[in-house]
Amino acid sequence: MSAIVVGGGVNGLVAATYLARAGRKVVLLEAKDALGGACATTTFATGFKGPTIAHALTALDPRVVAELKLARRGLKFAVRDMPTVALRADGKHLVIGRDVRATARGIAAHSRADAEAWPRFRRELFDLARAMRPFWWDEPKRGWNLPPTIATLRRQNLAAWLDSRFESDAVKAAVACDASGLSPLVPGSPLLLVWRGCQEMCGLQSAAAIPLGGPGALVDALTAAAKVASVELRTGAHVADILVKDGAATGVVLESGEEIVAKRVLASLSHSQLLATKAGRSALGIGESTALERSVPAVASAKVLLALNAAPNFGGSPSRGRFLLADKIETFVTAHAASRAGCMPEELALEVVVPTAADPALAPMGQHVVSIRIAPLPRHLAGSWDAAKAPLAAKAIAALERCAPGLARHVTAAQVLTPDDIAKRYGEEDEVTVERVMSDWPSRILTPIKGLFLCGAASEPVGAVSGRAGRIAAAHALREAAK
Amino acid sequence: MRYDAAIIGAGAEGLAAAALLAGAGARTIVVERSERAGGRATTREFHPGFRASPFADELPPIPADIYWALDLARRGAIFRPAPVSPAARRFLRDVERRAADIRARAVAGIDSAPDHSFFSRPAVPAPWPGEDWMALSLADVLAREQPDIAAHLAAAALSGSVADPYLAGSALHLLTLPRSGFVTGGLASLANALVGAAHEAGADISLGHDVTDIRHAKGRVSGIGLADGSEIEARAVISTLDLKRTFLSFFQWNALPKEIVHAVGTFRMAGAAARVLFALDTMLPDAARDRIHVSSDLEQLAAANTVWRTGTIAPRLPVTLRIVSAADAGLAPLGQSVVTATLGAVPFRLFDGAWTHEKREVLRMQALAALETAMPGAGAHVIAAEVIAPPDIEEALGATDGDLMGGALAADQMLSAGPWPDVPFPRCPLKGLYLAGSWLAMSGTCVAGAAAARTVAADIASGTLK
Repeated sequence: MSAIVVGGGVNGLVAATYLARAGRKVVLLEAKDALGGACATTTFATGFKGPTIAHALTALDPRVVAELKLARRGLKFAVRDMPTVALRADGKHLVIGRDVRATARGIAAHSRADAEAWPRFRRELFDLARAMRPFWWDEPKRGWNLPPTIATLRRQNLAAWLDSRFESDAVKAAVACDASGLSPLVPGSPLLLVWRGCQEMCGLQSAAAIPLGGPGALVDALTAAAKVASVELRTGAHVADILVKDGAATGVVLESGEEIVAKRVLASLSHSQLLATKAGRSALGIGESTALERSVPAVASAKVLLALNAAPNFGGSPSRGRFLLADKIETFVTAHAASRAGCMPEELALEVVVPTAADPALAPMGQHVVSIRIAPLPRHLAGSWDAAKAPLAAKAIAALERCAPGLARHVTAAQVLTPDDIAKRYGEEDEVTVERVMSDWPSRILTPIKGLFLCGAASEPVGAVSGRAGRIAAAHALREAAK
Repeated sequence: MRYDAAIIGAGAEGLAAAALLAGAGARTIVVERSERAGGRATTREFHPGFRASPFADELPPIPADIYWALDLARRGAIFRPAPVSPAARRFLRDVERRAADIRARAVAGIDSAPDHSFFSRPAVPAPWPGEDWMALSLADVLAREQPDIAAHLAAAALSGSVADPYLAGSALHLLTLPRSGFVTGGLASLANALVGAAHEAGADISLGHDVTDIRHAKGRVSGIGLADGSEIEARAVISTLDLKRTFLSFFQWNALPKEIVHAVGTFRMAGAAARVLFALDTMLPDAARDRIHVSSDLEQLAAANTVWRTGTIAPRLPVTLRIVSAADAGLAPLGQSVVTATLGAVPFRLFDGAWTHEKREVLRMQALAALETAMPGAGAHVIAAEVIAPPDIEEALGATDGDLMGGALAADQMLSAGPWPDVPFPRCPLKGLYLAGSWLAMSGTCVAGAAAARTVAADIASGTLK
């Protein structure tokens, strides 16, 4: 075997396929029985299918789609270019789409000045995004320097940055939703927005898209591509540890005791997961280990799926949208502060998608699925997350009810994945920090163990379903093999 | 008579600027609204026989070169260093070094006068020292210190201020830690020394004159207008008031370029301090000379910040107590004492309306409770108390939102020389106007004033100021 890929998520599949296409003999080991990781479609109630975690693709790398010929392997989009709809309790919903003029007209209902500022803001954001694209999309060419505008932005915080551009809470909160991974008061938080701008610019699925058949369809296409490239796919193969000899990876050992030998190991692990392995702990050294242990994320997200026996009505706005619920920037500030302290935030910020609006086949005729992502939430809640499951769902539904009256009556089933559940299923994530966003690819992919590469979503600047980390990690592994 | 420089505000910055400019031969005048010079460096009798400095017990340190250039020791500004535990001393030295590096970086902009030549390309600005701290929280930085020292330092850094100590960037608040120590006779002694220095250098100090506007035409400042209708002509005007106060109250908004109004409008203030002065009819244990921080572990500071953001007075505000009469016996009659309480996380704007008498009483009661916690039994000996709420600070000192720092201590405001990248502080887009009030990179007393004086002198010499 010339390479082992640990973890069959999107990035694992991408990495394995690229390696196999380069003529390597690759085995992909997935602990669970199904491939796909956090990108999957689940049947959560009889007849209702919904996205387990990721419900809209906002960052899929178009090069992965093109190079692995995913369209030919069955990847079709049910909807592309989904507009973002900021739901307001007063019914003045704000539709933010590709069309800058149309968006500005919508904003004018909230504030004239903001409507004028909108095109300027988009231009500024995309200028910044263009400047950062070489850095985030690939490994920048030698001689590439951080643009001075970005150096200034690193000192700025999102709240102040948006305050100096817009006046209405509606616009500021809608924009801030895309940078909710960091508190809006953290210096450098606007960089998350710039990262989003980069994703929007890529032109493939632009702002957000949903594959036909749910996110699982992307995994199916990737699996097909991996099979064509003759990757050996093994599910139910739980990797117990990475074998290391003289500081270099030599293979992995499975829980069953089976050892698989290979020169290169690509693992979809976060740094904290790597630390949990024996090999990782001994390789990282005490200093780095304690630093990593200290930076366990305080903030996480939860996922709620609702089955509805009628179409949700968001006050006349297009239901094929990405709905955002957050009153004002302060909502994020307090939610982050509360999460850090281990308390349930008073106001939740929600991102809502109705997958059945674009793809009715996911639910029985006339019925609907509503997918809700709640973030920020405390990773560790005072008390326990299990006890808070039902109150969390009730709180989310109540928040939604304010903007979509009558929705609560139609809920027939619900599935809640708390931050605990998500961490148990997919492993502990790494904390979002400005340093991570601003570090280069090698520092996120390479490890102190030679021949071990991290190719998971944790190696992206911001965790997302993109396939980019897998592609770049595979390139690194191949380059090292060529040496 | 036309002055070379007119300085608005006779606080420490204004007086230092006046002394240095006049000493360099410039005709200089300082105009002060109040009848007394000193700004926050004042000491007054708040109860017969009891004196205290109402706004602060001590100031950020005066760099040695300015201290000696103004000959402050001879004029009676004698500092007594505050006691610092040896474990914290090492940490404070590191902080001082950082603050000095940041100051040096901020001043570096002065000497390279703005280049307005047509072909000049924007240079990549040098990075700021201290940028590593903007990614760290107070809790991160102090995690390496011993727990009790860490708690003390965090409380000291946020004393009379507010921030979430777990939020990245809050580490920058540590830069406010270095303190000058006590001035014998209260802060007024420092003001007197500075007035002496300014007088001796030949500067005019005009007290009791309210500046109403800064005269300007075609982007160039020509003098200041006073409330009595008179005008003082000057080649340069130095404002020691904060950025917001300077532009929003001395200019008609529509007379200013839009960019200036926008930059000033979005500059953030974060007033969060209140003070309560206590007169006690007993001697308090002499041991407690250092500051005593009550109810201020990190969790409480974080919670107080959350409440502050909603415009509410938290049920337990962080309080710093100081027996000022223990360090300086002259402040209280024999056998009696003066205690100051500095409250942090006090909102300037309350969500439910104005600062009423009842709300001031809340501050007094909280300070009293803190006093009782720290020194059981002391509460019964309080014979008088004066509450100074954030609006009082704004009223007395002209500090917008009662913010004594001149602006919110955020990375973008602290690690920068003002909101105009191509015209760094103390200059501003209006020619002839110099700002010494909101220069947050200048943690230190008299530093921004001295830098402004140096800039004015340089611009006079180079002929930029006509």
